[in-house]
Amino acid sequence: MMMLSLTVYGQEADSLQADTMKTENLGNVTITSRRAGTRKLGGVENGVQITRAELCKAACCNLGESFVTNPSVDVNYNDAATGAKQIKLLGLSGTYVQMLTENLPNFRGAAAPYALDYVPGPWMNSIQVSKGSSSVKNGYESITGQIDVEYLKPDADQGVTVNLYGNTKSRMDANADANIHLNDKLSSEVLLHYQDDYGHHDDNNDGFLDQPNLRQWNLQNRWKYMGGSYIFHGGLSMMKEEREGGQTTHTMQMTSSKPLYKIGINTDRYEGYMKHAFILDSERGTNIALMGSASMHLLDANYGNEHYSVNQKNAYAQLMFETNLTDQHNLSVGLSLNHDYLTSSDKETTPGAYAQYTYNLNNKIVAMAGLRIDHSSIYGTFVTPRFHLKLAPNDIVSLRLSAGKGYRTVHAMAENNYLLASGRQLVIDDLQQEQAWNYGASGSLYIPLFGKTLKLNAEYYYTHFSEQAVIDYDSNPTQIRITNLDGRSYSNTLQVDATYPVVKGLELTAAWRWNDVKCTYGGKLMEKPLTSRYKGLVTASYKTPLGIWQFDATLQLNGGGRMPTPVDGLWSERFGAYEQVSAQITRWFRHFSIYVGGENLTGFHQKQAIINAADPWSSSFDPTMIWGPVHGAMFYAGIRINIGRL
Amino acid sequence: MKKVLLLSAMMLTAVVGLAKDIKTVVVTTEPQMHCDNCVNKIQGNLRFEKGVKQIQCDIPTQRVTITYDADKTKPETLIKSFEKFGYKAKQVKEVKKEPEKEK
Repeated sequence: MMMLSLTVYGQEADSLQADTMKTENLGNVTITSRRAGTRKLGGVENGVQITRAELCKAACCNLGESFVTNPSVDVNYNDAATGAKQIKLLGLSGTYVQMLTENLPNFRGAAAPYALDYVPGPWMNSIQVSKGSSSVKNGYESITGQIDVEYLKPDADQGVTVNLYGNTKSRMDANADANIHLNDKLSSEVLLHYQDDYGHHDDNNDGFLDQPNLRQWNLQNRWKYMGGSYIFHGGLSMMKEEREGGQTTHTMQMTSSKPLYKIGINTDRYEGYMKHAFILDSERGTNIALMGSASMHLLDANYGNEHYSVNQKNAYAQLMFETNLTDQHNLSVGLSLNHDYLTSSDKETTPGAYAQYTYNLNNKIVAMAGLRIDHSSIYGTFVTPRFHLKLAPNDIVSLRLSAGKGYRTVHAMAENNYLLASGRQLVIDDLQQEQAWNYGASGSLYIPLFGKTLKLNAEYYYTHFSEQAVIDYDSNPTQIRITNLDGRSYSNTLQVDATYPVVKGLELTAAWRWNDVKCTYGGKLMEKPLTSRYKGLVTASYKTPLGIWQFDATLQLNGGGRMPTPVDGLWSERFGAYEQVSAQITRWFRHFSIYVGGENLTGFHQKQAIINAADPWSSSFDPTMIWGPVHGAMFYAGIRINIGRL
Repeated sequence: MKKVLLLSAMMLTAVVGLAKDIKTVVVTTEPQMHCDNCVNKIQGNLRFEKGVKQIQCDIPTQRVTITYDADKTKPETLIKSFEKFGYKAKQVKEVKKEPEKEK
């Protein structure tokens, strides 16, 4: 019985249209299971796939809001004035997670601080989160993991979907996706997004907007050609974004003769990508693939009197050969070339080569060993070894081990320009290439219990840096210094989670994660600031038998942590634990669905989101010390309309 | 005593009123079901038909078993509803009624 139900989970296809209970007859046993919104990746790497069904449990206006129901990934607001968001994986900053779209590296350098806002939620088909050192195929950069966004596919069912969303913080979103099959091989798709977030809200009356006013226009056109032995994928996209933050005359007491402190960030981004796959032997899975992407990212940012602008260009190419030598032995080899240009003094060209061998004994023992050699025009030649092992002796137990090295070239100003909003002086030293080792162990148990399956998962990761660009708030109260690590820097994370379908249609997930993240600042090993010591998560999701109604609720507990060393008693040494509650109700109709929900329902928000907001032109002014939500409860409603898709 | 009788009569009426006439119809489809996408399309559309209580699709035997409330719909209506999403359905007559088992 247990094995049968596992098979059903493994075979579930992803579709929003028919997100009903799945019932299958196998012999004389009828199995009814609810499709899982988050699925564990079946391969040798430890990770999860977040499907469309999971993304629909909350409004998920963009990528940054897609991890609300996920225990592994934290999303913090970086900065109360610019709204820049950061992912944290394994307790470490999002810069150590390699961001991919359609399995190609993306959102580098200047795009990183705001990248989570650049992927509209309704455009996404799924998100894959891989934890640990990952495969060497996509480069040497992933240190804590990879997040790969898969967009909606041109060759999916033809039709149009429109999504409209509004919330009580004056945000309005409009999205549309449309695809057409031009013939049985060629299909195309257009994705559109417009967002208007001009609320001028200052609920805490500190004279500053709680989050920046934001307008974004986003467009993408994608193509897919499926020939017998040739497959093509390609697309072009462009995005324009305007952010305006800072002091607002709505709540500002105009007693000062000083000008208003304003923040303005304008971004134009252009992207293109293509993938060509030539199938040489379909039985052996032998193929050659040529992939490439290029982007131009123009950023013009003003923070009070500080100004930063950059025209960042990136080009990436990869040639890959893969074959199954036998059923057990798979080989993948490839060449890559990456070029980043930010300024005449900040540019890098990196050619590289990799080989990866995978041994697979009936999916019971899978071992993957990969090695890369790259040559940076700045840092010279370096080697990236990575190793993964999966043992799954039966359908109940699986164990995974991983170890690997990662490197990262730091474009400190481009990646951290939001720090210019601080009244402190931003100092950037001559930085080394970052280097870190990551080790992971995880185990899963699928236990048959009262005719259902209890899924238990435990994982431990250890990351330690030998070179790191450290953002130091502690050594000098008048500076934020980005400097080379001098001492130890590491992260230990331990996570346990459990999922169980309590009654038909009701699935409960509970998770807990401990973070122990420390780094050396000014010769002293200290807890990494603005990082929660733990995170707890409980989600409940109920869907009626035919999937007409869906009810979702999530409770998050975020542990306290250390603040940067206080200056003149302006803030406390530590911040406390806080909770977050969100809930959503969805009603499905044949051609549309409507959803209403709320976020941060307990209304908790960081009391002092901006340090010394009364005097933004002083050196003690700082909007970058954010550890919690900056606005209170928010309610929203939306509608998804299908046109032409049956 | 009158009150007891009246109450019993009311309860009996309520029970009769609540007792639904749940029936099952089994059909095959044209085109055939090949994969999960076919199953999704059938389940995703059929669930909005009035009176439908449960849908089971079985690819190996090519059978769709629909449990419905006979007071609200009838097999002909359900079979006709397949045309709304580009399918044709044909009733399978030789069905043995089996008690439903669920996991």
